[in-house]
Amino acid sequence: MYIIIVGGGRVGYYLARALLNEGHEILIVEQNAHFCDTINEEMGSICVRGDGCEAATLSEVGTGRADMLVAVTGDDADNMVACQVAKHKFNVPRTIARIRNPKNEMLFKKLGIDVTVSATNIIMEAIEKEVPTHPLTHLLTRSDNGAGNCGDKNPPRLKDHW
Amino acid sequence: MRIVIMGCGRVGAQIAGLLEGEDHDITILDIDAYSFRRLPPDFNGTALLGNGIDEDVLKRAGIEEADVFVAMTQGDNRNVMAAQIAKHIFNVPRVISRIYDPLRQELYDTLGIEAFSPTTIFAELVRDKLKS
Repeated sequence: MYIIIVGGGRVGYYLARALLNEGHEILIVEQNAHFCDTINEEMGSICVRGDGCEAATLSEVGTGRADMLVAVTGDDADNMVACQVAKHKFNVPRTIARIRNPKNEMLFKKLGIDVTVSATNIIMEAIEKEVPTHPLTHLLTRSDNGAGNCGDKNPPRLKDHW
Repeated sequence: MRIVIMGCGRVGAQIAGLLEGEDHDITILDIDAYSFRRLPPDFNGTALLGNGIDEDVLKRAGIEEADVFVAMTQGDNRNVMAAQIAKHIFNVPRVISRIYDPLRQELYDTLGIEAFSPTTIFAELVRDKLKS
């Protein structure tokens, strides 16, 4: 697949690495020249310097033939616009946006952005899974009788217990 | 009319002053309290500190009862995001946004935001001035 990543910060960097390893064709659009140089030195020339929200930049990197655009800058508004430009100007089939403010999830869905990823929501879900919403309920008290019998040569028969 | 303006820069502050003079109910938002110095001294509307791309801030600004929302910050993407929140989440009847980038302006105009690009307008203005 041809995947365009908007934002070459940490998320974009590691995402590109992982996707390259899986054999995809990757292109990163990043505004910061220093980040661009690092990526290009380490992963080959896969980073173009520019504004990923600008139709002109997206046209330059062949967004018209992209299968997917992933916007992972640190700014929700930038990610939203990059996805909308990709969708409406270049008909990219799938767009994914990283969001910082979980409240933006509904807006992004309404605007037709296919997937939103919010670190806050993911961590919240993990916490909810780990921490029960109800306090632990006391069911029965375990008697200490027989607690040490596990390795005994002559374990007591059940009827001895009852 | 109830009008919410996001961004109290030179343009935002001037719009607030003009419209208030026409008896509209104005709330103006900015993320920097220092920006409110630009409002006319006799401004009687509401100046609210906060970020217009946050739904809660927009609610505090009275977006739910607003007839018009105007996005006038320096950032195209911020303007467009706030404008779309106003339109799609709060169903504000008229949403106007400044978008410097002419290509983005065209796109969002087709997506139902009344967008205008100062870049295009000024370029044409200068050309027309030279013609006359």
